Amino acid sequence: MPEMTYLQAISDALREEMRADERVFLMGEDIGAFGGAFKVTDGFAAEFGSERVMDTPLAESAIIGTAVGAAVVGLRPVCEMQFADFIACGFDQLVNVAAKMHYRQGLAVPLTVRLPSGGGFSGGPFHSQNPEAWFMQAPGIKVLAPATPEDAKGLLISAIRDPNPVCFCEHKHLYRRVKGDVPAGRAATPMTARVARSGSDLVVIAYGAMVWAALEATEDLDGASIEVLDLRSLVPLDEDAILDSVVRCSKVVVVDEANATCAVGAQVASVIAQHGFEHLDGPVVRVATPDVPIPFSPPLERAVLPQPDDIAKACRELLAY
Amino acid sequence: MSYSPTERQSRQEAPAHTVEVTMPQLGVSMAEGTVAVWHKRAGDWVEAEETVCEITTDKIDSEIPAPASGRVAEILVEADETVPVGTVLARIHTGVRAGEAHPDEQLAAPDAREPAVAAAPDGSAPADRPSDAAAPDASAPADRPSDLGRRDVPAPEHAEDRASHYHSPVVQRIAEREGVDLARVQGSGRGGRVRKQDVLAFIARRDAERSDGAADYARSGEPPLHTESPYREPQSAGAAATAKPQAPPGRVAPAPPGEGERLSRMRRSIAQHMVRSLRTAAHCTSIAEADFSAVQVAREALGLTYLPFVARATIDALRAHPQLNATLEGETLTRHREINLGIAVSLGDDGLVVPVIHDAQDLSHEGLARRITELARQARAGELSPDDVHGGTFTITNPGAFGTVASTPIINQPQVAILDLEAVVKRPVVFSDDAGQDAIAIRPMTYLCLSWDHRALDGAMAAQFLSTLRARIEGWGRT
Repeated sequence: MPEMTYLQAISDALREEMRADERVFLMGEDIGAFGGAFKVTDGFAAEFGSERVMDTPLAESAIIGTAVGAAVVGLRPVCEMQFADFIACGFDQLVNVAAKMHYRQGLAVPLTVRLPSGGGFSGGPFHSQNPEAWFMQAPGIKVLAPATPEDAKGLLISAIRDPNPVCFCEHKHLYRRVKGDVPAGRAATPMTARVARSGSDLVVIAYGAMVWAALEATEDLDGASIEVLDLRSLVPLDEDAILDSVVRCSKVVVVDEANATCAVGAQVASVIAQHGFEHLDGPVVRVATPDVPIPFSPPLERAVLPQPDDIAKACRELLAY
Repeated sequence: MSYSPTERQSRQEAPAHTVEVTMPQLGVSMAEGTVAVWHKRAGDWVEAEETVCEITTDKIDSEIPAPASGRVAEILVEADETVPVGTVLARIHTGVRAGEAHPDEQLAAPDAREPAVAAAPDGSAPADRPSDAAAPDASAPADRPSDLGRRDVPAPEHAEDRASHYHSPVVQRIAEREGVDLARVQGSGRGGRVRKQDVLAFIARRDAERSDGAADYARSGEPPLHTESPYREPQSAGAAATAKPQAPPGRVAPAPPGEGERLSRMRRSIAQHMVRSLRTAAHCTSIAEADFSAVQVAREALGLTYLPFVARATIDALRAHPQLNATLEGETLTRHREINLGIAVSLGDDGLVVPVIHDAQDLSHEGLARRITELARQARAGELSPDDVHGGTFTITNPGAFGTVASTPIINQPQVAILDLEAVVKRPVVFSDDAGQDAIAIRPMTYLCLSWDHRALDGAMAAQFLSTLRARIEGWGRT
């Protein structure tokens, strides 16, 4: 199996799906001649031509709106938001038009929107956000957030083939930092959670870059057996896997890189409170970014985003409870 | 903190006065009621809406809430006394404040929630405390400066520690399932909290100790559902070992002699059902004697207890007499096509459950044996689902395990009959051989005791059922 970075795995998924299915095409800002702000589509214009790798104006509403139309007539557009933060400009097309199309008119919208998300590199408040929870509240949209190169490829393939609009939250900080074996070919990853490390004393539930923070934080935590559950898919949310871990471990720390209020972790905690109550041996503890914009200043950003030390501290306190 | 209107009122009214607790009228037909139990004694503090006593009538039982917060001034009707509606049962003195010491207060039952007792940080049993200790203790901080002597003696004091009274859902669930008294578990969590691993370790230790004392049960993994006659000959050593009375699972430390103890929820539920059944059904008990020689041969060949054989024979007899495979609710008698056989399983001191073998008519005696073993295991492990205990159409109980030879069981409502299997005992029996010659022989005999509801059927039917049952048992293998 070839070893790839997270970013290469995303490129690989796009390339393989485009080679295999001519309905798949890309739209985005500077993705053609320039190869994309992060070079995900480097060389794509040469291979597939500018009709399938379309450079667009700086207008997310137009990108998503055009893609919705293309998806409705049977194409499989993949839109790149240069930064996830900019999706706010295309919010109406995605949340009101794409998400409700099937409910109102019975039409499938096989649309994928790639959202380079997350902070950790001093990108400041406009280039560091994790907007996944916005879309969890729009019924009709699926939301994925891979942590590993293998899942980045497999889940992007799942997203492209899904008949629903999918927000694919790829974490910028992982692009070139994580590497792993990625199977060749076009294997789709199911939209379920994955046990990143099994354990029995406490489970840390996370997704995206926070999976790595959780693994690092709990690699050796005073000998405790710590499970790490990687959600992978936020909509649909794998409640069975969450509750399995709760039954096994009885103590839960939920980690979000997003702002705390109404975040993914809040939903996970609510599922546990309602359905896992009898298995709990302590309060459900959340570690998340406080409800503030992401600062540009490196020390301030570190102070705001959950760090491995923060997760380790929360785990220790809960273990001792 | 929000207060109920009555409570707020009582706090505002500074002048001392008393309110009366009276026997309420819980329905137009109720003329009198009986005080079942007092939760408070004279001198106890009571919060508004807190239960002061329980009453019972011919139809229902009810808890009587305090009309106001205050101190119980006097109790005028003792438990078990029956009085007309409107009678004053007690008076509550509302012109006092919570926390004021009262000479009698520390004698209250442990579950009474007087603030002074709850705040006592030393956690010693109320009765052991000097009578003047309540007031100073109430104002003492909960976390006293480090007291090394106290920490070095964790078990008994720790168990009473205030922190240990709060148990997480998983700890409570495990404790309930395993019959663990959490006061005996030493907690290793924050403030002495009992954590999941503490209760699991406690159970592991307890089970290890138990299996030391009962190696025979450990081998089979299960205590026997049914123990055989105590009069059996000693030759079958393996079987004899299983006859040893077993310490029931979930045994908790008995209360010191002479101290009252509130019934567990399961016991209260059993009490309620039994009393209701006795009030509802016209109970009669018929007894027939049966020779278990044939069953004994088959039983030993298969290594089973008597129970599945009796269960199978009962099913056949119910087929022949469907009047007994019925439920009676109000004036509606329903005869059931399927036989859902309830089997009473003892949970030791905790009580009793009756899991149901649905469609028992489809099972052989060997299939029944397996199902009974499995249901008994689930019952003891607390794994029964509601479906496993509902829908019974006839019940078998077998207290004969401990050597009794006759009982009058109470019908499991709304069924119309219950069969009680007693100890199989060797007796001299007079019988006639094929040539008509009388002889005396030693035979394994038992009394089949059937309680039945005279509202649903008559004695002749019960006798015919027992006669069929006896014929099935005595003719086992020949039919």
